[in-house]
Amino acid sequence: MLFQRYGKFTGGIDVPEEKDSTVDKPISIPEATDSLRIPLMPCQTLPSQPTVTVGARIEPHQRIAAAMKDGIDIFAPLGGTVKSIDEKTIELADLTQPKGIPESSIETSWSDLDSVQLYQRLAESHLPTFGARGETMMGWINRAKKSQANTLIINAVECQPYVTADHRLLAEFGSEVITGSAILGKTIGVSKIIVAVDETHTDDYTELLETNAQYDIQCIALPRKYPIGADNILAYVLTRHEVPCGQDPESIGIAMAGPAECFSVYRWVVCGQRLGGRVVTISGMHAERPGNYFVPYGTDIHELMAPAEEPFIIGSPMIGRLCPEGSVVKPSTDAVVAIDPTIVGVPSQCIRCGWCHDHCPARLNVAVLNDHYELSDIAQAEHLGVLSCVECGVCSYICPARLPLAERTRKLKRAIKRRQTSMPLFTPAPKPPESDR
Amino acid sequence: MTDVPEINPPNPEAFLKEARTLATHAPLLRAPEKVHSVFLVIIVAACLPLAGGVVLFGWRALWVVFVSVVSCAVIEKIYFRVTHTPALLGRTHAYLTGVLLALTLPPFTPWYVVVLGALFSILVGKAIFGGVGHFLWQPALVGRFAIAVITPILAPMLGTTDVLQPLSWGVLDQQHIVFGDVKEVKTPKDYRGWKLTDAPDGTNGFAMPHPNKVMSKLWLKSDDNFHNFSSIGTVRDDIPNRQCMLFAVLPPVSDMLFGARPGGIGETCSILIIAAGLYLVYRNYVKWQLPVVIILSAAIVVSIAPIRFTGPNGTMETVWFPMFAEGIEIGFTYVLYQLLGCGLLVAAFFMAPEMTTSPVTTGGQVIFGIGCGSIAMLMKLYMDIPIPAYVAVLVMNTFVPTIDSMWQPKVFGQKHFPWLARAKK
Repeated sequence: MLFQRYGKFTGGIDVPEEKDSTVDKPISIPEATDSLRIPLMPCQTLPSQPTVTVGARIEPHQRIAAAMKDGIDIFAPLGGTVKSIDEKTIELADLTQPKGIPESSIETSWSDLDSVQLYQRLAESHLPTFGARGETMMGWINRAKKSQANTLIINAVECQPYVTADHRLLAEFGSEVITGSAILGKTIGVSKIIVAVDETHTDDYTELLETNAQYDIQCIALPRKYPIGADNILAYVLTRHEVPCGQDPESIGIAMAGPAECFSVYRWVVCGQRLGGRVVTISGMHAERPGNYFVPYGTDIHELMAPAEEPFIIGSPMIGRLCPEGSVVKPSTDAVVAIDPTIVGVPSQCIRCGWCHDHCPARLNVAVLNDHYELSDIAQAEHLGVLSCVECGVCSYICPARLPLAERTRKLKRAIKRRQTSMPLFTPAPKPPESDR
Repeated sequence: MTDVPEINPPNPEAFLKEARTLATHAPLLRAPEKVHSVFLVIIVAACLPLAGGVVLFGWRALWVVFVSVVSCAVIEKIYFRVTHTPALLGRTHAYLTGVLLALTLPPFTPWYVVVLGALFSILVGKAIFGGVGHFLWQPALVGRFAIAVITPILAPMLGTTDVLQPLSWGVLDQQHIVFGDVKEVKTPKDYRGWKLTDAPDGTNGFAMPHPNKVMSKLWLKSDDNFHNFSSIGTVRDDIPNRQCMLFAVLPPVSDMLFGARPGGIGETCSILIIAAGLYLVYRNYVKWQLPVVIILSAAIVVSIAPIRFTGPNGTMETVWFPMFAEGIEIGFTYVLYQLLGCGLLVAAFFMAPEMTTSPVTTGGQVIFGIGCGSIAMLMKLYMDIPIPAYVAVLVMNTFVPTIDSMWQPKVFGQKHFPWLARAKK
């Protein structure tokens, strides 16, 4: 069986991919670290309550914090001794060696379970989701069930530069990812499952193609164009339905998940294993050991990247952020990139070239939105549809005046959501001294 | 001793450090193109028609370009020194303005006229609006328009008849290209084209009437016997002593294409203008829709707009649809002469797509282009304006803020165009 190919959208750009150094490196084990600082708030929920005391000896996969409200329980990825506990982290020392992804062993036949039993089994799992949204797995499933989604799209396009974590997962554990998507689909009760991948790397996905025929899953290879992997754009490309302004694909009956979620769901439902880490791509020209690693949660990013020096970028350079001191690997950390950010200098004024509008995948007139930002005219910005922004960063990337357009659009969206129209958004930049360029 | 607060002197190192600021928010990577590199590429593209002008009009054209660029840069520098307007960033846009201004000027323009044009370009066109990114009209065209208005007034004071609109203009002969003098020209008896005719003895080239002047003002009554044509392309036997307009008076079509005809330095060589324009389209600095719409709307207007020929005895003849009046072939030739005769191509590829003074959205640019093309041709046919295409661009520039605020694109996920729904207050 072959991949079907289709899909286009207006706008978008060709970002340099920079994936050559990591695309063929198999998922491996990182070097052992001295301590883990396990976050008590891996998702955007209330922090979990620690159930261990300082000095206690912890076995691997032992529960160390209990869920509050709709949060999740925290399990230790490695064995060790509790060194300290504060509001946000539990620090473990004297660690056991990291083991990477364990061998799969089929313990349960998932096809015997109906959707209610699968739902209950997943409710015991306390899995997070791995997207930037920071939901728990149960939060995502509940949202998808509530919107009565009829299509499940597995977003494995990975259009972001430098990131290859999902690609390696599909290449090495393709059949498990496909089975996991079938489990998720049965749990939510969808009629159609689509797996979307990048068409340049399809040669590695033989295992995936052998499995998908069993479950009647559509595999679609999409052309490489940034940002085809944004959720709203991918939903439009695959179904030709536009997501309404400021809403999620769930509002038109499409549930979106990633391959990492499918893999962890498969490992929990079928093998009974709770993975205490995620695949992280380490890349960039300053990285000492570029590759794909199965990193336990709570590993300090500076220790992971040593001996490379700052700056590090968490996530891809297009949508990620600079790594602050003391940040650790979380479920949403798909890559750590060690490159120098571009020198942008002082932004000059807009010359109204309109490239931001030409390349915006949401067809937003970003130049006019920038005017509204500078005037703090939030009502007009909302009228022009600023909530459709998918935050891909294309406008900032191509702006010849080097204006931080993506940041300003994000602030406009935040202000609309909070209705804080009284505060001026824009403070004028200091006047540059005389320059003779 | 009392503590005197220390006043920090201006710190150039702090500014340098700020000017090297790294990106701190997503995206942390940026494309390499900057504002001044955009202007530099447009300057390089504009050098192509300029080179054609230098070949066909001689070294005098280079002198005009030099004076224009230097005076633009110097005037902007002086203005910046006086007012410290922060948006007058660098000199790159001043160079671009100078080059574009020189493209539109005749090769024999005196230096003081060029300086006058540069003064209006920089001060009125750009500086009083606040510099790059803020101006309303294309600055080079503001300068050109000021020259066209002021030189007829200045001419009697300077003791000349007409500085920029003489009856016959010079084009260099093939043997004298680059190093000949475009002022030493004579009208040949029988002009059959640049390659087939030799220059009269003792001269460097040919003197010819401007094709724009021949073909415009057809609706107006002219006092001179300049427009005694019996028809567009074929001689009519029933009216004696009259000749056809296209083939008897105007240079051959090949000369109109390659530029051996009177006109501004960069206006004449249509092939090179189109090549430079296609390069700009390829680099995405010009959206292809804008020049295509300008040329198309101009062609449509010219092919259906009525014209009139005046005879020696006051006889008049009106042609209602010039495209179809004397057959489709002569109609096409007539439209081609009209499009190539004025500076429409320069306006379509260099002046109208100026980023600051054109609409942001593609739909807005189409509206803008329809206005530019049709107004240019209507002015050319029915008004006494020497630079119809440029004035049309200036007129449409005035409406750009209106077009920009009215024509908003339909955003991803919206059901209607925003201008169909009223803004919530």
